[in-house]
Amino acid sequence: MKSFEYTITDPVGIHARPAGVLVKEVKGFAGSTVTIQKGEKSVNALKLMALMQMGIKQGDTVTVSVEGGDEEAVCTALESFFKANL
Amino acid sequence: MALDYRKCAEEIYSHLGGRDNIISAAHCATRLRLVIADNSKIDKEALENVEGVKGMFDSNGQLQLIIGTGTVNKVYDEFLAVTGMTAATKDEVKQAAASKMPLWKKILKTPGDVFVPILPAIVASGLMMGIVEAIPKFAPAFGQTDWFSFLDLVANTAFALLPVLVAISAARVFGGNIFLGAVIGLMMVHPALINAWTVGNYAAGEIPTWSIFFYPIQQVGYQGHVIPVLLAVLLMSTIEKWLHKHVPEMIDLFVTPLVTVVCTAYLTFTVIGPVFSVFENWVLAGAQALITIGFGFGAAVMGAIYPFTVVMGLHHMYNVIEAGMISSTGVNTWMPIATAANIAQFGACLAVALKCKSQKTKSVALPSSLSASLGITEPAIFGINFRFMKPFIAGMIGGAVGSLFASWMTGTDMNGNVVKFGATTYGVTGIPGIPAINNIPMYLLLMLISAGVAFVITWFIWNEDEPKKQTAPSAPAKAESKAPTASVIRCAAGELIQPTNGKVIAREAIPDATFADGILGDGVGIEPSEGIVYAPFDGEVTSVFDTKHAITLEKNGMEVLIHVGVNTVNMNGEGFEAFVKEGDTVKAGQKLLAFDSAKIKAAGYSDCVVVLLTNAEELEKVECGIK
Repeated sequence: MKSFEYTITDPVGIHARPAGVLVKEVKGFAGSTVTIQKGEKSVNALKLMALMQMGIKQGDTVTVSVEGGDEEAVCTALESFFKANL
Repeated sequence: MALDYRKCAEEIYSHLGGRDNIISAAHCATRLRLVIADNSKIDKEALENVEGVKGMFDSNGQLQLIIGTGTVNKVYDEFLAVTGMTAATKDEVKQAAASKMPLWKKILKTPGDVFVPILPAIVASGLMMGIVEAIPKFAPAFGQTDWFSFLDLVANTAFALLPVLVAISAARVFGGNIFLGAVIGLMMVHPALINAWTVGNYAAGEIPTWSIFFYPIQQVGYQGHVIPVLLAVLLMSTIEKWLHKHVPEMIDLFVTPLVTVVCTAYLTFTVIGPVFSVFENWVLAGAQALITIGFGFGAAVMGAIYPFTVVMGLHHMYNVIEAGMISSTGVNTWMPIATAANIAQFGACLAVALKCKSQKTKSVALPSSLSASLGITEPAIFGINFRFMKPFIAGMIGGAVGSLFASWMTGTDMNGNVVKFGATTYGVTGIPGIPAINNIPMYLLLMLISAGVAFVITWFIWNEDEPKKQTAPSAPAKAESKAPTASVIRCAAGELIQPTNGKVIAREAIPDATFADGILGDGVGIEPSEGIVYAPFDGEVTSVFDTKHAITLEKNGMEVLIHVGVNTVNMNGEGFEAFVKEGDTVKAGQKLLAFDSAKIKAAGYSDCVVVLLTNAEELEKVECGIK
């Protein structure tokens, strides 16, 4: 399993649109399971509702974990995706 | 591929930090909901990786594992089998999660929590007892038949052995073992003890006592009592739980139940019982003194507080007062007061039965009110009136008015002399009491007054959905302030009613690319004509965003997002109001959110209400658009 930490810079946090974009991105990595963790809570990044219900806000640090598939590549791709979009 | 439910449940269990760490388990349409004692003991990562668990999160003190519709119940069944837990309802899980409720609230809630599960037994018995006992009053010959004696036996079983039912239910509420609870209940009505109902036939010296305690203990059962049983089982559950924690596991199985039962039994008969019987005597003496207070005032007070004594199970002792009255004066003046109080509960319950729209409430209220008219008020009180409180209070008022009236009336005895208004027998109230009363027209009037007052008050002060009522006046009294009824989204799992009044537009026409492209799911937009969001179905609120501009709901596997406006997250809740919170169960058409379209537009955003089925791709036959 590979993971990285990221601090959200998007002023609305992971709300509807950012969450939607993220889910869409993650769907591209069919072979991997991506998990977003904030504090005690963690969710599968494919689950839009669960993701939004985490209430991740600007300034929150989340841990993104990738399991299965080409972990290394997916992790790198996601990290740049987060930096660009979130 | 079919999921191996057993394996899934076992794996989940293995990551939860042991049986003791699980307080309760329940499931909803898609999730396994667990209340965990210590979250640090569970292995979250491993849980997420269990095959079958699609996701998990932790909210409201519940650990929720997303498993999926149709699967979760099977995993849940296996989970119960694996852990040896008994099924908890979703409410119980919520209850465990909400155990931080203030003490006084818990105490008030307890009798209801205990009685509601045993209502079917009380309703069956109450109704039957009322009918069976009423027949001989009109047709005395029937009272001599075998049929009567058989039906009477069947009818009074649940009441004669009420402590057993109460004890089992109480053990569940207090978290004790229900079978040990049953033992405590059975012990309190053991046939070797003198029946509490016939103890009056014994002279004080004739009642056998035990001298194994510090002072003599009368060998009398607790038939018809409720409070001592509740206390005994509370004590039992406390002892049992303490022992489970402190007794080494190896000997726990035989030490704990044994010690629990013996200690509880000892304390029940030495402390709880005697203290309670002193308390009971005070109540009896107090009640007798009360009704003699002048001008009917005392009677009115008694009529008002009578149902409280029913809640506590004290009313079964009133036979003693009534019997005493008959032997000293020949007239039982207590009975009209009891009738006023009971018939008032009937009136209040009947008002609920006629006014409520919920079929479930109606189906309890109707037979309960019938039973109450025959003098058996427990079903009406516990099932309806006490639960909604307002009907109970209306019943108290009706009882007070009726009792006041009764105290002013007179009757005639067999010899034609004018005597106090009352009955010539005891143990009957309501309709079956008619043949026993010394002034039948006034008795009928008394019932009409008591029931009428309670009925009318209930009809006007009680409304089915209290929270709805509170928000209603604040809504503008426009023609459109009613929830729409058109269906906007349909799929195999159900349909969504249009949540906001206004013009329904296609998803593609929503003025925002994320919504329009369907990234967040499939659905429709609504150009609102009114700033209110109503529930699209009977379901559960899964989240309300801090900024109150969006809400998520779930029903039968359908996950729904209702998002008011575009980019309105930036308004930080300004101009929005939420009427529900996460975890609430809502009814179709119930108000969820209110928003101020003018403010949204002033802030430069669109006020389009977006309604999306976020998991549309997992559902079958999704169809959007108004119909």
